[in-house]
Amino acid sequence: MPLLDIRNLTIELDTPHGRVKALERVSLTLNPGEIHGLVGESGSGRTLLAKAILGIPGHNWTVQADRMMWDGQNLMEMSARQRRALMGCEMAMIFQDPMSSLDPAISVGAQLIEAMPENKTISWWKRAADKRINAQQWLHKVGIKNTQKVMSSYAWELSDGECQKVMIAIAVANKPRLLIADEPTNSMELRTQAQIFRLLSKLNQLQNVSILLISHELETLSQWCDRLSVMYSGQIMESGPTADVIAQPYHPYTKALLDNIPDYSNAEHHKTMMHTLPGSAPALQHLPIGCRLGPRCPQAQKHCVNQPSLCHQKDRYFACHFPYHNEPCHDEPLTKS
Amino acid sequence: MIRYLIRRLNLFLATSLILFIVMFIAVSKFPVDRIAALTGVQQPTAQQITRITQDYRLNDGQISQFIAYLQQRLDGDLGLSSTSQNLILDELTAVLPASFELGFFAGLIAVLFGIPLGVLASLSTNKITQHSIMAITLTGYSIPVFWLGLTLSLWFGVQLGWLPISGQINLLYEIDSVTGFLLIDTLLSDSKYALSAFLDALQHIILPAVTLAVLPFTVVVRITRSAMMTIMEETYIKAAEARGLHTSTIVMRHALPNAFIPVLKNLGLMLGAFASYAMVVEVIFSWPGVGAWLVSGIYQRDYTVIQGGILSVALLIIFLSILIEIMHTALNPISRKELYAAN
Repeated sequence: MPLLDIRNLTIELDTPHGRVKALERVSLTLNPGEIHGLVGESGSGRTLLAKAILGIPGHNWTVQADRMMWDGQNLMEMSARQRRALMGCEMAMIFQDPMSSLDPAISVGAQLIEAMPENKTISWWKRAADKRINAQQWLHKVGIKNTQKVMSSYAWELSDGECQKVMIAIAVANKPRLLIADEPTNSMELRTQAQIFRLLSKLNQLQNVSILLISHELETLSQWCDRLSVMYSGQIMESGPTADVIAQPYHPYTKALLDNIPDYSNAEHHKTMMHTLPGSAPALQHLPIGCRLGPRCPQAQKHCVNQPSLCHQKDRYFACHFPYHNEPCHDEPLTKS
Repeated sequence: MIRYLIRRLNLFLATSLILFIVMFIAVSKFPVDRIAALTGVQQPTAQQITRITQDYRLNDGQISQFIAYLQQRLDGDLGLSSTSQNLILDELTAVLPASFELGFFAGLIAVLFGIPLGVLASLSTNKITQHSIMAITLTGYSIPVFWLGLTLSLWFGVQLGWLPISGQINLLYEIDSVTGFLLIDTLLSDSKYALSAFLDALQHIILPAVTLAVLPFTVVVRITRSAMMTIMEETYIKAAEARGLHTSTIVMRHALPNAFIPVLKNLGLMLGAFASYAMVVEVIFSWPGVGAWLVSGIYQRDYTVIQGGILSVALLIIFLSILIEIMHTALNPISRKELYAAN
């Protein structure tokens, strides 16, 4: 049974320009113990999806879904209190901007201790000290050496990398079953990036934590993930095992992303133009009819004004009428009246 | 941090110096004899004239006179009250505690009720609750305090007869002044009526304190609300939610300390308005504080009282606003970030 199974999740935002569908019919399946990569450019709704899974919607959101199954329970039917109980101990999230995810008015240590699980086996007056030791151990595990100093300082006194490590320590301290990492290495130097990815994969291997890894770098994701999902403009374009997706992308958008990865081995490519799709991602208020990639897609045909539905084929999902290397999906007739 | 404190002290000294200069110039413009304006002695003997002229160096130039004036004032010599012929300093020490008591009580009411109501207004999803709280605070903000004071004393004091409308305590009680704060003195007193005297003093303070508290209360509610609204959308609140913390824990531990910072800042800015409101309230409720004393001094053309009152009130306001700024910096780690000049 998958750990997390989402079908047709739609999130609508109330904006001053009316209601927009920021996320449309997104389906995602996450098996226990896997690292699932979610790739897409900024604005494609990856963070929205992550927040919707976790259950911290913004004030202007309307969330709808056919089902959102968490380990056999439907998240959509749970009360806010039940979902809050899941947060922290069952699911945890690492946020995009670590510095602003830590309260600026309280020391980092206090926030870390706050997140530590209570050890019910020891007497209550020893618990505070126990939490403190626990917090230090976790900080040490995520790779912070000077734990005392970090714990007594404020978030803005630390570097982004240190803040992110603290956030990871907070997130994993309760040993969650799902860790949502939203661009965990955003704005960090390569060495820290590698450290954090190693840390995440170690957690995955040793503690069997499932990880939903969100990033815009397909190259990094392909190194660490078991499965990949590609998002564009609030929709899932393609999803499948990483090796298959990289080797044989079905969707033109995935192909475009793969073409964007610079190839340094070939001397001829020196100073040639980089492959990019024409145009830019559409604003949410002006989405094209039909396939959202339509106007930019190199393979677009007349039929693409109809929205393709996500189609399932041998462990892979894709939403395209004219996929590469594959027959079109015959769930729907090509000629629609 | 020490550098910062020294700079604040410097600010206090510079502002006070300007205050003294303004006072000195104003004294020379008072339409009375200069000796009477400076010391309050109405019919000085020849001996007194010589001494005063010597003390204030009245025959020297303006700058020398100002330095002498400054010396006298800093020595604590504020002169005599020209109406009662008592030392201004004694009168001041008698009236200041009553004002402090009133101001402190009103501030306490404003903060104790204002912050929870502001939090409630920001957290409530119900439009009616939100709008009614905002409407009430806007009304409170715009009501003139003299009208409010008179109306409250008319309703609760005269028509309903629940609360006394003037003075600090019933004249029947004789309480020895120890601290000057009547609420504390009544408790310290070993008279057998101490408890009933305390209750009486408490009843007396309610109406003036409520009248005075209305303005800061509304400001506190509005600022707490707007600060909470922005803070509850911050990432660190979302992150705290994602940690599975209870909403009340989030509000108490993460949102409120951050929301209190702008509230404190605005309280500091409001001190001047608060002090002038306090004077009006003291006059309305015959509260024996520095405001009522100053206003009666103005009516009686008692120039030394006017000087002493203005000097003490202005110095207090300068001192308190600098104190609040220091508190703001001490409580708020984010502003210390600017002190360290970190990005």
